[in-house]
Amino acid sequence: MGTAPAQLFPEFLVETFGLPGVLGEVVAALIAAAVVGNIVLAFTGVAGPWAKRKITAAFTDRIAVNRVGPFGLLIIPAAAVQLLAKELIVPEGVDRPTWDIAPVILPASALLGFSVIPMGRLGPINFQLADPEVGFALVFAFASIASVSLVMAGYASNNKYSLLGGLRAVAQNLAYEIPLIVTAMSVVIFAGTLQMSGIVGAQTTTLVTIAGIDIPAWYAFVNPFAFVLFVTANMAEVGRNPFDIPEAPTEIVAGYQTEYSSAYFVLFYLGEFVHIFLGGAILAVTFLGGASGPGPESIGFIWFVVKIWGFFLFTQWARSAMPRVRIDQLIEIGWKGMLVLSFANLVLTAVIVGVIA
Amino acid sequence: MSLERPDTTDDAAIERSPDELEALLGNLVVKRDDHLNAPGFVIRPDTVQETLSILKEQAGYDHLSLVSAQEYESRYESIYHLKKFDDPTQEVSVVVPADKDDPVSESAEPVFRTADWHEREAYDLIGIEYDDHPDLRRILLPETWQGHPMSMDYDRDRPQIATLPKHANPLQEHYKDSESDTMFLNIGPHHPATHGVLHLKTVLDGEQVVDVEPDIGYLHRCEEQMAQSGTYRHQIMPYPDRWDYISAGLLNEWAYARAAEDLADIEVPEYAQVIRTMGAEMCRIAAHMLALATFALDVNGDFTATFMYAINDRERVQDLLEDLTGQRLMFNYFRLGGVVWDLPEPREEFFSKTRDFLDQLPGSVEEYHDLVTSNEIFQMRTIDTGILPPEVAKNYGATGPVARGSGVDYDLRRDDPYGYYDELDWDVVTEEGCDNFSRLLVRMREVEESAKIIEQCVDLLEDWPEDERNIQANVPRTLRPDDDAEIYRAVEGAKGELGIYIRSDGTDKPARFKIRSPCFSNLQTLPEMANGEYIPDVIAALGSLDIVLGEVDR
Repeated sequence: MGTAPAQLFPEFLVETFGLPGVLGEVVAALIAAAVVGNIVLAFTGVAGPWAKRKITAAFTDRIAVNRVGPFGLLIIPAAAVQLLAKELIVPEGVDRPTWDIAPVILPASALLGFSVIPMGRLGPINFQLADPEVGFALVFAFASIASVSLVMAGYASNNKYSLLGGLRAVAQNLAYEIPLIVTAMSVVIFAGTLQMSGIVGAQTTTLVTIAGIDIPAWYAFVNPFAFVLFVTANMAEVGRNPFDIPEAPTEIVAGYQTEYSSAYFVLFYLGEFVHIFLGGAILAVTFLGGASGPGPESIGFIWFVVKIWGFFLFTQWARSAMPRVRIDQLIEIGWKGMLVLSFANLVLTAVIVGVIA
Repeated sequence: MSLERPDTTDDAAIERSPDELEALLGNLVVKRDDHLNAPGFVIRPDTVQETLSILKEQAGYDHLSLVSAQEYESRYESIYHLKKFDDPTQEVSVVVPADKDDPVSESAEPVFRTADWHEREAYDLIGIEYDDHPDLRRILLPETWQGHPMSMDYDRDRPQIATLPKHANPLQEHYKDSESDTMFLNIGPHHPATHGVLHLKTVLDGEQVVDVEPDIGYLHRCEEQMAQSGTYRHQIMPYPDRWDYISAGLLNEWAYARAAEDLADIEVPEYAQVIRTMGAEMCRIAAHMLALATFALDVNGDFTATFMYAINDRERVQDLLEDLTGQRLMFNYFRLGGVVWDLPEPREEFFSKTRDFLDQLPGSVEEYHDLVTSNEIFQMRTIDTGILPPEVAKNYGATGPVARGSGVDYDLRRDDPYGYYDELDWDVVTEEGCDNFSRLLVRMREVEESAKIIEQCVDLLEDWPEDERNIQANVPRTLRPDDDAEIYRAVEGAKGELGIYIRSDGTDKPARFKIRSPCFSNLQTLPEMANGEYIPDVIAALGSLDIVLGEVDR
C-alpha cells in the first residue's frame, strides 16, 4: 500500500552499529529478538500477574497484594522464588518426554508470534523483527500451536481430568479457529495484503471527520461486526471466560494443568499470559490500527502497549463477571453461529470491496 | 393471610384419627406404641413394604421423613417416621422390631426411594439388616470397619486399623473392558466443586454422565453419639451449630430446642420466640448468601464478582449475629426454654444496624439479579439442567429450597408452625422450573422473605414493654423426661427439614438421639438430576443442592 515498509529492528541495529556481513545480521537479529522477547516477557511474566491480581481484586471488592513492597509490587520476585523453589512433582506413568515438552511449547509458540507483530516506534526504533509477505498467516499459525501444547499436556499427564481438558482444548480450537481466521480474511480483503505492515498501513487513512476529530480507518470502525466476531473468537482462542473450558477449575480441576507443578507450572502460567497478550497484539494489528494513535509516530509503541493491555483488561473483566458456557454449547456457538456469521461477513466484505474497487 | 395453604380436595389429604389408621392397616398392626408427636404402630418385620404402601397410597403419607434405628436390651428397632407433604402435622410412626440375634427387617426402599440411604446408615451404625434392599453397604464408615458402633456389644476400645490395600480402592476401577466406551472418574474427595469432602464416583461417556454415585462419610464426627453422651439441659446445644456449620447455626439449634422442649413440656416465652425467629432468619439469609456465592463459583469458575459480593452481604448478617449472640459461627445462643441473653445494649443501635442491613438488602438482591439470573449465559447454563420432577423429589424426601424449586409447596415454618412464624406476614416461595435455575431463584427470593420476617420481628421487639422481656422459661436444673418417651420434631433449616428424634430412658441424657439431615436426603437426588447430563451440569446440580458435608455426614 501507500507507505514504504519501515526499517525493521534488526536492520536498524545493523545500520546503527555498522555490523558487517551475514554474521552481523545474525547477531543483530539475535539482539533484536532478545530485546523484543524481554519486553513481552516483562509484560506477561512480571507486570501481568501482578496487574491481574490487582484488577481482579478491584472487580470483586478486594484489596489483593499490598504487604510485600509498595502496592505489593515485590510479590513478583517473591512469587517467582516461591514457584521455582517448589518441588517438581513428576507423577507416575506420565508420558515423557511429551510431558516435559508441552509446557515449553505453549510460551514458545506464543512468543514466536510476536516476531512478526509490528509493535510501532519508540523514538528511532521500530519494534518489528520481521515483516514477511505472509506475516498475517504466520501469526495465526503460531498462535494456534498453543492447542498442540494443551493436547500434549492433557494426554501425557496420565490423568483423566487432564485428558478431558486436552480433549476440550481440541474441540474448542476447531470450533473457533475457523471463524477467527475467516473473519481475519475479511480484513485481508480490505487491505489487499498479508503483510503485517501493509495491514497496519491500510488503517492509517482517515475514515470520517466528525467535529474536527479525525476518525481513523481502523477496521474496528470500518467493520464493527467483524470486530465483535473477532474479539469473541479471540477470547475462545486464548481460552478466557466465558470460554475457559479447557481449564474449568470447578469442573475438571484446571484440566491439562492438573499434574504440573513448580517450573513447569510457571511455564504454563506464563504461556497463557503470553498467549493472551499475543491475542491482544493480533487484535490491535488487525482491527485497532496497530501502533497508530494521537501524537507523533515515534510514540506509537506506547499506543500499541495500551491496546494490548486494553484487551487484557477486557479478558479480566469477562473473567470476573461472566459464567462459563458448557462444552456442547460452545461447540454449537462455534459451528452453528460464529462460522455462519463469519462466512456471511466474508462474502459481504468481498462484495462491497469488489463494488467499490 | 398469606400463610394459608391452597385448598386441597384430595382424598389422601383427609386427616384420619389414629384409630381409623389402625383400622385401615387391619391386622398388620401388632400393637400400638404411640410417640409424643404421632401415633405409632408396631408391625412385623416382614410387612414393612405392605404397611408403608397402604399408608402412602391410601392414607396419603407420602413423605418418609426419617428412618431411625436403635438397639434395645431385647430387640432391634427401626422406626419409619411418615408425614404428608400437604400437611406435615399429620404424622405416623411405623415401628419395626427386629430379632436380637438375627436383626433382619424388610426394606422400605421399593416404596420410598429415600429409605435407601437411611437404611444403609441404620445398617452401618446399628447393625440391622434390610431384606430386599438394593445395595446394603456401609455408608458413613469405611467398608473395612468391624462391628456397628452404636450397637450395644460394640467394643469402643478396640482400635480400627485397616491398611490401605484392604480398602476398596476407587482408583483401581478401570472400566477398560472392550465392550464399554465409558470412563470412570473420581470427582473428589478433593475437588473444588464438592463443597467439602464429598466423593462422587462418576462414570462418563465422553463428557456425559452415565452414572454418578455419591460416596459420603468423610466428615462423620459421631454427632449423634456425642449428643447421646451429653445432658439435655446444657451439653447438647453446642453440637447443632456444628452440623450445618455454614452460618445456619441458630436454625439447627432450634431443631434440638423444639424436640427437647416438646419432650420435656417446656413453654418458651413469647419474647424469646420473637428473638429466636429473628436470629433464625438472619442465619437463613447468611446461609442462602453463601449458597448463591458458591453456586456462582461453580458456574462461573474462579473467583468472581458475585462470589465476593455475596460474601460481603453475608458478612453484614454475620456482624448482626455476632452482636446478638457473641459468636460468628458456633453461636450456642438458644437454651431450652428460651435464649441465653437478651438483645445487645444499646438496643437502639442494634435495631438501627439491623434496619440499615434490611434497607440495603433489596439493592443487593437487585444486583445479583443483574449479575447472575438475568445473564444469558447463566440462564443457558442453568435453565433446564439438573431436572428434578416434583414426584421424584417427594419420593426421595427432598425438602427445603430443593423441593420448593421443584414446585413442592412445603415449608415447615408455615405448615407445622413453631416460634413466631404463624403470627407474621410472609410467603412461602416456590418455583415450578424443577431445574438448577429454579433452585437458585427460590433461595434468592427466600432471602427477601426472611428480610420481611426480620423487619416484623424488629418492629415487635422495639415496642416490647420493658418489664415483659422474658427470655427464659423456668426449666429444672436437670431434665429427666419420662422413661421411654419418644419424640420426633422438625424445623425448617436452611437446607430443608431438619428433624431430631429423641428417645428418653428416664435419665438426664437421651438414650437415642437421631438427626434427620435435610442435606442427606437432598444429596440422594443427585443421580436423578445428573444422569445423561454433562459434567458441568452435574457440578451445577451439586451446587444447586447446596449441601454441607458437616450435615450430610454428621
